[in-house]
Amino acid sequence: MIDSTPMAMVEPAETGGGSSFWQDAWHRLWQNKLAIFGLAVLGALAALCFVAFLWPNITGYSYEQQNLALGPAPPNRLHWLGTDPLGRDLLARLLYGGGISLTVGLCATAVSLTIGVIYGAIAGFAGGKLDMVLMRTVDILYALPFAIFVILLMVFFGQNFILLFVAIGAVEWLTMARIVRGQVMAVKRQEFVEAAHALGLKRGRIIFRHIVPNLLGPIIVYATLTVPEVILLESFLSFLGLGVQPPHSSWGVLIKEGAEVMEEYPWLLMYPGAVMALTLFSLNFLGDGLRDALDVRGSKD
Amino acid sequence: MLRFIARRFLEAIPVLFIIATATFFMMRLAPGGPFDAEKQVSAEVRARMEAHYGLDKPLFQQYLLQMKHLLQGNLGPSFKYPGRTVNEIIADAFPVSLELGCEALAVALVFGLAAGMVAALKQNSAWDHVPMALAMIGLCVPTFVMGPLLISAFALHLDWFNAAGWFFPRDRVLPALTLGAYYAAYVARLCRGGFLEVLNQDYIRTARAKGAGGARVLFKHALRGGILPVVSFLGPAVAGLLTGSFVVETIFGVPGLGRYFVTAAFNRDYFMVMGSVLFYACFVVVLNLVADVALVWLNPKLRFE
Amino acid sequence: MMNESRVARKVYLTLLTVCVVALLAGGCGKRETLAAIGDRTQELRLNNEGEPASLDPAVEIGNIEHSVILALFEGLITADPKDLSPRPGVAESWKISPDGKVYTFHLRKNGRWSNGEPVTARDFVQTYHRMLTPSLGAQYSYMLYPVKNAEAFNLGKITDFSRVGFKALDDYTLELTLHSPAPYLLSMMIHDSWFPVPIAVIKKHGALDDRTNPWTKPENFVGNGPFVLKEWRMNSHILVERSPTYWDATNVRLNKIYFDPTESLDTAERMFRSGQLHSDPQAPPSKVAFYRKYKPNLINVYPLLGTYFYKIHVTQPALKDKRVRQALAMTIDRHAMTETIMRAGEEPAYFLTPPNTAGYTCQTKVREDAAEARQLLAEAGYPDGKNFPTVEVLFNTGVQYHKAIAEALQEMWKKNLNINIVLHNEEWKVYLDSLRRMDYSIGRASWVGDYVDPSTFLDMFTTENGNNETGWSNAEYDRLVHLASNTGDRAARYDAYQKAEAILLDEMPIIPIYFYTRPRLIQPSVRGWYPNVIDQYDFKSIYLVPEDN
Repeated sequence: MIDSTPMAMVEPAETGGGSSFWQDAWHRLWQNKLAIFGLAVLGALAALCFVAFLWPNITGYSYEQQNLALGPAPPNRLHWLGTDPLGRDLLARLLYGGGISLTVGLCATAVSLTIGVIYGAIAGFAGGKLDMVLMRTVDILYALPFAIFVILLMVFFGQNFILLFVAIGAVEWLTMARIVRGQVMAVKRQEFVEAAHALGLKRGRIIFRHIVPNLLGPIIVYATLTVPEVILLESFLSFLGLGVQPPHSSWGVLIKEGAEVMEEYPWLLMYPGAVMALTLFSLNFLGDGLRDALDVRGSKD
Repeated sequence: MLRFIARRFLEAIPVLFIIATATFFMMRLAPGGPFDAEKQVSAEVRARMEAHYGLDKPLFQQYLLQMKHLLQGNLGPSFKYPGRTVNEIIADAFPVSLELGCEALAVALVFGLAAGMVAALKQNSAWDHVPMALAMIGLCVPTFVMGPLLISAFALHLDWFNAAGWFFPRDRVLPALTLGAYYAAYVARLCRGGFLEVLNQDYIRTARAKGAGGARVLFKHALRGGILPVVSFLGPAVAGLLTGSFVVETIFGVPGLGRYFVTAAFNRDYFMVMGSVLFYACFVVVLNLVADVALVWLNPKLRFE
Repeated sequence: MMNESRVARKVYLTLLTVCVVALLAGGCGKRETLAAIGDRTQELRLNNEGEPASLDPAVEIGNIEHSVILALFEGLITADPKDLSPRPGVAESWKISPDGKVYTFHLRKNGRWSNGEPVTARDFVQTYHRMLTPSLGAQYSYMLYPVKNAEAFNLGKITDFSRVGFKALDDYTLELTLHSPAPYLLSMMIHDSWFPVPIAVIKKHGALDDRTNPWTKPENFVGNGPFVLKEWRMNSHILVERSPTYWDATNVRLNKIYFDPTESLDTAERMFRSGQLHSDPQAPPSKVAFYRKYKPNLINVYPLLGTYFYKIHVTQPALKDKRVRQALAMTIDRHAMTETIMRAGEEPAYFLTPPNTAGYTCQTKVREDAAEARQLLAEAGYPDGKNFPTVEVLFNTGVQYHKAIAEALQEMWKKNLNINIVLHNEEWKVYLDSLRRMDYSIGRASWVGDYVDPSTFLDMFTTENGNNETGWSNAEYDRLVHLASNTGDRAARYDAYQKAEAILLDEMPIIPIYFYTRPRLIQPSVRGWYPNVIDQYDFKSIYLVPEDN
């Protein structure tokens, strides 16, 4: 939840050689080592998972291939990260699961982003009665029992991942809407908006040239921070036994299964946990970096 | 201000009504009923039990009856635990969740605010990077991993605590830490962010130029603005904290309300689900209101018409 | 600025002090474990696997409720903890008529309720009247059906209870008249559905047939068992104390029993390890191998009267042909499953009724023969799995190994028969509902016996039984099972059961997988406890001996 106080978007003077807001932001981001590290890690992981998705047997084992005779084995030459109690290769399941978790994370975030931004912007900009109705609806949806909601979705739509995106996206957009609304309301009252209004600028121009750029920063940042929340929520669903179903794996499933046997077969928790933590770290670093980079105030140092 | 508060309470009534209606129909829509069991009872017994609880009446009639009871404050009996009413169960379990929630909140605020403030004050130093890295861990490790890890280390190996249970004062420590860790991390980051923004503002620079010392600058001028994002976040989050967490209560054997939110749904304990949902909803409404009021108080610029 | 560093240091120092003070005040640190304290004070601390739904023996009696009810009530007969043979309880002695239809129980004269009132034969008759009252909706009323007209009364076909075969001949003599000889009646009677309840007390707190009657709350509770209910905090604990009015109180060695309702297997095991519990009845599967290898004195694995199997919905087109079902059953490597997935000493099951159930062991077995299975499948019209539709296997979420077993099945069937199955996982209630409405193809199931007799397993698959759920109906099977239920001669009964189970295993509406075991964690300080197949506690013989260490 970012609450950066927005400021006037001063257009750069029409002298040659000036840099735009976005160029400045990118430049700042590039200088932030942690954020770039995060971006690099994410890129690498995403690439790995994508490759594993296209060539499922790249590790020599598929994610569902069992080896009951072998059972759970610590990392060795044949299975680089070890195997689970059914003898399935952990590396294969980790990559496959990573693909699923990242996809769920990105799609659910995209869904929540789209709905949340539109909803929140309308509420914030319109104000008054409409705002009240929209926000009370958010309150209502917030209070409904999540477990039953997921169960119902599972019953009616079967167990594919679409449902997972829907369920998680349906929860996350609520917070996004609240934040966007808060931001819009704060921006709306800034002097520069009043000034633009007084200058006779049309509503559309005000929204797009002046309000939206101030929104983008917090929205992008929050979106980057929503992906980890989504991944954690997916792992909670796995803890409950809802969510990704066998024989598929996801990080949530792997971590839940690993936590159950963490004292006997620690590698089953360590590796998925480390990879998930690394991903979430990267997302957070990236988010922080984006926020620092997009901090409008610093743009004219 | 009073009018604002009064209006929000009035708005809460249709909100609660809609929540109750939606929950009622959602629950009935889900397949499986409270009397489905692995050893299925005979059709006659099932019919008897359904009649006893009024489940054989037409759906709409049941709905109206439920609404009437709700208005009277009667949350109904529990199916899963015959002999207990939902009111009783909530009254028994809520104080436990409340206590745990407050302790977790205290952990979150104490650690989070301290770490965040210091990190903002000494930006980009070790005082900043180390706590923020720890906060990252708190954010990225799910509770059902953190809990067993803490238990394994402190209760089983070091033998400082019991592995589970809620009898002695020391039983509070590990659950409060597990539950509070995530919020502490969030608070630390938000606090740091909020403080940083305020610290860079013109009015802080003015105060410093005027010669105000470090601590005074912080507490007098920055506090109000820096706490803003924390308050925004905590509003709805506290509702969840205080009504209990299913995961923490299951892992640590805490007899709180949190577990019912999930188990009642799984058991199709219709009245229990309704009762706990409405209870939680009331909390959310009240806490959102408190958060909004606090926001307005902290930043007069956001005052509503 | 130097100032800022000082502030930073001050803040963290304060934080550290607060933490240390809080921890010390809370009393952390090494101390005597709760189990050790219990050893000294004769307080047995048990994990009870969940919160009891009710402590009324008529309303709800699962495993969880059963253990506590055993401490609080006593039936006409009790079970010997080692071999479950019937022993005197409230009844001092009993006589069975030569035709096996009339049982006469002589009650002891010093049996007392915990409020001092004597336990009389009338109490039993009134208890059974309440149990069979239709409006109560007692779940286990069918346990009383061997008695004449009990079923008719329970279904509302007759309304005069005096026509039901329960009679109090006098204060201390109870006579049961059955409609046909039931040699397993005594083993049924150790089940809590036969335990007496204090009718007068129940009436004080509400209607007799109201399941929500609060008479089992600690402040209202009255029972006739070796212990009385002291404290009951939902999801926290149940504490029972020795009853001074119990007729055999001098032979009860424990002072208190503490029941812990933790459901999570992992949490319970951790509590056992940290010394909070004397016994945890179900160790998590992943830890069983560890205990058996490194701490064998803390674990006891013994067979439980239960079977894990799969139900097949036999009216589904692909599964109609019994050769298909046989093929499915024959290509499962049960040993691999129990050795690598379950790992708690379970026995692979090649028939339904657990071996040596009251002396009955099924002689027909499922063979594991992949080659023959393939041939059968080909004969049924699916050579090498060609054209065999994708079938769905249903199981419920919640327990890890259901999934593991289903996944193993999927692979075994794919490898051996070249057929594809899809795994369908439903949440518990949805899954139960699906089974009940027969909205499934192949579904996971299990059955734990209510009492020690093959009928508790084989009755399930008669045509009219509500737990059949497979759509399978076989007239000869029905006839044999009914015959066995109504015969007094054990040899004749078991012969009928052999034939019936042979039919079952030929038609294969179910696929047996393994027989349950109990991997119980138990401290060496617990004495007088013996494993038995229905895992029944005998709280009178259990006692604690402090470990000298």
